[in-house]
Amino acid sequence: MRFLFVDKILELNPGKSIKGIKHITQDDFYLKPDEKGKLFFIPPLVGETLGQLAAWNVMFNNNFTLRPVAGIAASAKVLRHVYVGETLLLESFIDHLDESVVQYHSVAKVKDEEVFILRGALGPLLPMQDFIDTNLVKQQFNQIYRPMPCHPVELATRDLLNNMEIPRCARNDDALSRLSLSPTTGLGPIAAPMIFDRIITCEPGVNLSAEKCINFAAPYFADHFPCKPVLPMTVLLECKLNLARDFIKLSNFSQNYQVREVHKVKMKDFIQPGDVVTTNVKIKSQSDTKLVLNFQSEVNQQLVCVLDLIMITPTVLPNYNENSSAKSMQFQEN
Amino acid sequence: MNVESVYPKVREIIADVLVIDEKDINLNQRLIADLGAESIDFLDLVFQLEKEFSIKIPRGQLEKNARGELTEAEFEKAGVLTPEGMNALKNYLSEVPSEYFKPGMKVNEIPSLFTVETFCKLVLAAVSAQSTVESMA
Repeated sequence: MRFLFVDKILELNPGKSIKGIKHITQDDFYLKPDEKGKLFFIPPLVGETLGQLAAWNVMFNNNFTLRPVAGIAASAKVLRHVYVGETLLLESFIDHLDESVVQYHSVAKVKDEEVFILRGALGPLLPMQDFIDTNLVKQQFNQIYRPMPCHPVELATRDLLNNMEIPRCARNDDALSRLSLSPTTGLGPIAAPMIFDRIITCEPGVNLSAEKCINFAAPYFADHFPCKPVLPMTVLLECKLNLARDFIKLSNFSQNYQVREVHKVKMKDFIQPGDVVTTNVKIKSQSDTKLVLNFQSEVNQQLVCVLDLIMITPTVLPNYNENSSAKSMQFQEN
Repeated sequence: MNVESVYPKVREIIADVLVIDEKDINLNQRLIADLGAESIDFLDLVFQLEKEFSIKIPRGQLEKNARGELTEAEFEKAGVLTPEGMNALKNYLSEVPSEYFKPGMKVNEIPSLFTVETFCKLVLAAVSAQSTVESMA
């Protein structure tokens, strides 16, 4: 069960930009149903895909001696869900690259429609051999680096997408029953549920703490990474979004808060199999229209991940500021 | 422009980066030992300072500033500071108490000395360099 999501690299300008695609099909494991039962790709993993795309550029540029790891995102926005049967056109642009860090921004589109925008992503570069054998990562790269023939890039890309056969999908309900999706996570039993294992304490309307044991059996560790399995930041993020929904439910708020933005996301250290992640959630601020939750995750009492989650009621229009300097991720609730 | 004038904004940014209260920060605190900063926080801090003050801080600038007129070979040998390198470092990091400079200190341990004031000085140096470049343009 791969945790490598780029299906094909279309164009690569080393150290500058890269384009690729990812098909969303019923072969994908990390799918959830929306309120109508239609399957979509988990939003944080669209960001993961864009990050992996940028990483391929960086790694190719340094001949696979260094690889970027997730660190910080200045701003990311999901404009809509991406559903089974759609194809993502992925583009990442390198803003700064040296021997220690990469800064980039990315966009994912379905045909000409932007569906995910990532700005100000920052990733430290670390020795490749600490994470994966160089020959293996080169092999993985060669599997997907099949650049377009010599056409003008825009035309070639558009032709590719317009002429691409949409994968034939079984009826959606057949797919749902085949996957035996969990009513809680929407994920099947063979996919790793991105939830915390248990709630330790809960003071409804005030705070909550939860625990997740990191198990080597989780499918994403095989690729992330063979020599050094570390919990993907995007997986932890999805766990926290689900925990927020649990907290909302347990708190019996009358307001129908929904996820809109994740703010100040930072991974301070790696989380590995065998670790026990304790996450504390507390209300940072609350009004009738807006709820801000602060998450702090620890392993062995050391802070490993922090973020603020902004939730608003559906009556409040999304307040997306293109020029915001805040480190934020915005999500469209299904 | 001086340390006092940039300190409020630098403190605000450090508080944001380290997710701590501004009131828990003072000029003399070391970012790693006293405020719990990690390497990712240093990257984040530099980028936030660059954005806030419209400056560029090349990677390794602090170490380069500390080296002053010394060549790399005069500053360190096999990753360990030479006596001349240690003196140059102490002169540059004049805000850091002398007891923090340990004999045989390695180059990769230099960030452990950095205080809030060190980053204020870094901003001032970058602003000055930026102004020099702009006036020559």
